[in-house]
Amino acid sequence: MMELSTALSAKFEKLQTSYPVKRSALIPMLMYAQDEFGCVSDEMIAEIGRRLDLNNVQVEETLAYYSMLHRKPWGKHHVQICTNVACMLKGGNELLERAKKRLEIGQKEVTADGVFSLEEVECIGACTGAPAMQVNYDFYENLTPLKFDRIIEDLDVGKHPAPEPVISGALHERHELETPLISRRWGMKDSHKIDVYLMQGGYKALEKALKEMTPESIIEEVKKSNLRGRGGAGFPTGMKWSFVPKDTPKPKYVICNADESEPGTCKDRPLMEMDPHQLIEGMVIAGRAISSHQGFIYIRGEYRYVLDIVDGALGEAYARGYLGKNILGTGFDFDLLAHTGAGAYECGEESALMESLEGKRGYPRIKPPFPAVVGLYGCPTIINNVETLSAVPSIIREGGDAYASRGTPKNGGTRMLCIAGHVNKPGIYEVRLGMNMKKFIYDVAGGIPDGKKLKAVIPGGSSCPLLAADEIDIPMDYDSVAKAGSMLGSGGMVIMDEDTCMVDMARRIMHFYAHESCGWCIPCREGTTWLRKTLERFHAGMGRVEDIDMIADLAKNMLGRTFCPLGDAAAMPTISIMKKWRNEFEDHLRGRCPYKSAGVLVGSR
Amino acid sequence: MAEQKLIKLKINEREVQVPQGTLVIEATRRMGTEVPSFCYYPGLSLQAACRMCLVEVEKAPKLQTACTLVAMEGMIVRTDTEQVRQARKYMLEFLLTNHPLDCPVCDKGGECELQDMVFRYGADSSRFVEEKIHRPEEKWSELVYYDAPRCILCFRCVRVCDEGMDVKALGVGMRGANSVIIPNRQDHLECEECGMCIDICPVGALTSGTYRYKTRPWEMAYVPTVCTHCSNGCKTTLSVRNHEILRSNNRDLSGINGDFLCVKGRFGFDFTRHAERIRQPMVRKSGKLCPASWEEAAQAAATMLKGVYDSGGKDAIGFIGSNRASNEENYLLQKLARTTFGTNNVDHHRTADYTGLITALGEHAADSLLTMKQLYESKAVLLIGNDPTNQNPLVAWQIRSGIRHFGAKLFVINANEIKLKRKATQFVKVSAGQESAALRWLAHEQGQLAPELVEQLVQLKAGLEAVSDVAVVFGAEISGAAIAMLVAFGSKLPGKTRYMALGDYANSRGAADMGVLPDRLPGYAYVGSPHAHTSFEKLWGCGPIPPKPGLTTPQMVEAAQAGKLRALYVMGANPLAHFGTLSLGRDKLDTLIVHEMFLTETASVADIVFPATSAYEKDGTVTNTSGEIQMLRKGAEVMGPRSDFDLLRILSHQLEKLGLGKAFHYKNPAAVFEEIRKTVSGYNVQPAGLLTGGAEPTRVEFSRNGYAPYDVPVGLIRPAKDTLFTSGTLGRFCTMMESLPEAKA
Repeated sequence: MMELSTALSAKFEKLQTSYPVKRSALIPMLMYAQDEFGCVSDEMIAEIGRRLDLNNVQVEETLAYYSMLHRKPWGKHHVQICTNVACMLKGGNELLERAKKRLEIGQKEVTADGVFSLEEVECIGACTGAPAMQVNYDFYENLTPLKFDRIIEDLDVGKHPAPEPVISGALHERHELETPLISRRWGMKDSHKIDVYLMQGGYKALEKALKEMTPESIIEEVKKSNLRGRGGAGFPTGMKWSFVPKDTPKPKYVICNADESEPGTCKDRPLMEMDPHQLIEGMVIAGRAISSHQGFIYIRGEYRYVLDIVDGALGEAYARGYLGKNILGTGFDFDLLAHTGAGAYECGEESALMESLEGKRGYPRIKPPFPAVVGLYGCPTIINNVETLSAVPSIIREGGDAYASRGTPKNGGTRMLCIAGHVNKPGIYEVRLGMNMKKFIYDVAGGIPDGKKLKAVIPGGSSCPLLAADEIDIPMDYDSVAKAGSMLGSGGMVIMDEDTCMVDMARRIMHFYAHESCGWCIPCREGTTWLRKTLERFHAGMGRVEDIDMIADLAKNMLGRTFCPLGDAAAMPTISIMKKWRNEFEDHLRGRCPYKSAGVLVGSR
Repeated sequence: MAEQKLIKLKINEREVQVPQGTLVIEATRRMGTEVPSFCYYPGLSLQAACRMCLVEVEKAPKLQTACTLVAMEGMIVRTDTEQVRQARKYMLEFLLTNHPLDCPVCDKGGECELQDMVFRYGADSSRFVEEKIHRPEEKWSELVYYDAPRCILCFRCVRVCDEGMDVKALGVGMRGANSVIIPNRQDHLECEECGMCIDICPVGALTSGTYRYKTRPWEMAYVPTVCTHCSNGCKTTLSVRNHEILRSNNRDLSGINGDFLCVKGRFGFDFTRHAERIRQPMVRKSGKLCPASWEEAAQAAATMLKGVYDSGGKDAIGFIGSNRASNEENYLLQKLARTTFGTNNVDHHRTADYTGLITALGEHAADSLLTMKQLYESKAVLLIGNDPTNQNPLVAWQIRSGIRHFGAKLFVINANEIKLKRKATQFVKVSAGQESAALRWLAHEQGQLAPELVEQLVQLKAGLEAVSDVAVVFGAEISGAAIAMLVAFGSKLPGKTRYMALGDYANSRGAADMGVLPDRLPGYAYVGSPHAHTSFEKLWGCGPIPPKPGLTTPQMVEAAQAGKLRALYVMGANPLAHFGTLSLGRDKLDTLIVHEMFLTETASVADIVFPATSAYEKDGTVTNTSGEIQMLRKGAEVMGPRSDFDLLRILSHQLEKLGLGKAFHYKNPAAVFEEIRKTVSGYNVQPAGLLTGGAEPTRVEFSRNGYAPYDVPVGLIRPAKDTLFTSGTLGRFCTMMESLPEAKA
């Protein structure tokens, strides 16, 4: 038995009994234990194992999978600098170098006095505020060398510099081409509070769904809305819900996938931090639609403050009777739990997320069976993205047709788009599905800074094939972007200007997938690492002419052969870059990178 | 089993019919076409991780993994297209990027699945020029070493440890290309040390402490035989070089145990080369055991026995057989006792009441004994007493596999919280010795039991009545009359109830079957049954076999130490330690002759000790606890010792010279087995099955013939209480076993 603080002990007791299966509490327990003790010790592994009836290898293998969990303590202030695509374009690498010099430590090292530690991290979901970093759980965005130094100096003398109040780029003057629907409450004072939400017509849709509609008619309405999954795959939501078997004795579950970690994407974060009740309402309605009585919101571990906000909102919803037993006197019960991840992109894949939610390593599962039939704990489960579920109250309130009418046929409603990189007004915008991409980049987001030309666009997260400047005059709906050879994806757009080195871009993208590959299947595990090493070497000026074809060849031979879509996600952007910017690879054969370094830190020019 | 629906599909333009639910990889393999795979392993959960088994399926947009694809009516599959070949080639190229390619110094070289795959499906060159990920080798235990760079992460080891063994000592650490297998104690393993992980590893990532860096696989001869430790009779293949056993495994998955072996079966063979092994005959001279020539020792033995026979009569000599020696040797021992010396004073150390079970089953014995395969396929298992995980590892494996593969239900009645409790549908705890009382209640609803226990038994009974074809497995806690109660209960259950008594040691069952019993002739025929006596006397061409039962082992030892029995002839047993008063030694006994491998408590006080071979050093047959006969084949050879078969043959010749009995003229053990087939009930099996490494179940034809109900006195059945890390005398001389921390616990 270990000595735990009263708070941690109470947290453990609560977590141990919160889940249908005890082991699910494992990752949150490890996270909270680490928060208190600075790392996870052998004794803690034994203690948690004892509490959850797990042996220590079961605890340890789970722990070892997640990048936020660690066995040795970090510094008091763990500085995590994002260098993923959006931040890289804005000088993330230079920031990292500055940090190394300033703190006199390298990657994953701790200062001698134990005050600071440094880690280069993958996308932290602050793309519209790039370059960004986290110190412990606090976000600091739009960093300049000066701002960075000041934060470090403050921390060094024991002050706590104020983190971002809300994600940068979410609050801005609405452009006339925007159609705020699910983001309409953003910016209102206390928009995350239930009173504000209720005043804005909140939980009316739930009332309607519970009192006036049947599960079938809810699904029917969602089908009519042409709502398609906003996580990236774009699967019709109503159809997904209708796959859940009706006559099963097993419990059913609703999961909100809030493991937002697709590079370039940071829309779920503001949706949860500024309007958590909209999501909760959407989830209860989803629960009603499939006759489920338990939901989970799986929030990526980096978004701890968001988790705290959601937890607060859940408390309010329980207190007002929108969650729990006999909701609104209708006899319908629904419990909802917010669950923390611990740093693993792969857990955004739905079946890997379920494994993770069950307290295991985030390995994807064999499909079929699909989650609608065999999901969490082997029971029927629907799993949807934050944005998808947040759209549900609007659909129920105003009807599926009205919602659908905002978009194009087969692509109902509005879409949250994050735009980052080389644009004048990086931010998160809500627009009708089908808006012209070029118009969006140039009109809404203000075009490319310094009058430079556009070179490339990541249309929806780094998993999508990149589009060249002449390919962007297309409507932004799932089908049109697919026709143009890419994907609308998760709505994370990253813009690259003419000075961007596409070899460096390919390298950085592959670096991410190699870091996040779960290691389950051979082609992804070995292929991403091989490609990362080759691209690093190539960009450093040690490329060989035969490498060019080999890189494309390897990527093509990963495509479609990996266990889950992560392998495809690594291969697709690589293949598109090799095809569209092959000349840049050839240019690198002459020695060092002929392009201006991809990113320039603002203020260091 | 219910009739399975067959479906038709086309594989490589050939139409194939397979049962519904068959995986495409199995369907393809069944028609003789290989679909390569690393992670797919029949019996373990599906992974689809290695992507080696990708095949083309018509109308599917991309290649499919044959290991997860269920064959469907009309499906058209192609396994040898350009696309498939290319996918395999790339998969192997990917796999080799971080593989050290240290094949010349790798234990697995020559029998490595990765080598074979690259040979067959790989590219002829590698394009990988980056730095490989390296990690140092780790020693996890005396038996298990892990070399991470060689590991291809097929997760077979993790699955077999979890799903197969229910030990869960292995996991996966790190992530992505840095993924590694991790042991359960930070840097070392604490487990059952079964070595299944090493055995199942397709490459040289997990290697064995007893085998590593000793030899190349092609330098060894491979000898299929039977494990000589517990009574379960696992088939094992000894890898032998220069007459020395270097490895024991069953990688061809044949026999009753497939690839299963426990720590003893896999690593417990070094006793054969132990320094204390007796290597020449010894004769006691002026109080001390001194080396002697074979001639001198054999003559002395015959002379002593003849002397006692002449002066003390038929019943002055007792014979104790062996639960480790072969069927042939035990058969010859009791034949010697009954024909040459005309006595029924012949018994062995009994660890389970096989006589009781056969007698209780009576006329149904022939078809009511449970084989290991039937145990695996049973829908329900009733386990009473024993701790199979420790004492009968294959039985535990079969039960676990049945639960995993067929959803079998396990009902346990035990005085201890045995490990199998974790897998049990219902666990009924009784106090020690209360097992038979629980059975009495189940059979006749009689007896005074606590109400809570009765409630549990009611539930257990209902559970068993809800299924059919129950497999009943019981330990030494149940013997004699209690077995009759068990059979009375079992016969009322729906379907066909079958039984297995769990004994200890490799040939306990064989010794009983061969009639190494004072009250039963071979095949459990009653001593005193005129019909049985006539037929055996005719066959053996001997004088009348006494119609009265002889002394049991405890009675012989007691009589010997008390000076009432004058000579004791012991073949491969240690009765003074098990049944005697140890401090007495041999006490008043005139003559003690022993066949042994080591100077045990009994051998060290003998007049004459003959050095005996172990089961790994001789031919013959043994019968496991479920009554399945298998062949022993000589694998190793140690200078000096001779088989008990040879020793008895020599003795019979010496006795004949002195005018006592007839010499045995069998050329080899096979000739004895021919006689056993003809004379011992249940042993008339087809030799072909045995010769090809299979097991043949015995079907004992037995008739009670109006004999009185059978019971056994307290103390006659003495279980060995061995654990996974002990094995009677053999275990004491296994250096490997001694080195394991788990063995000391």
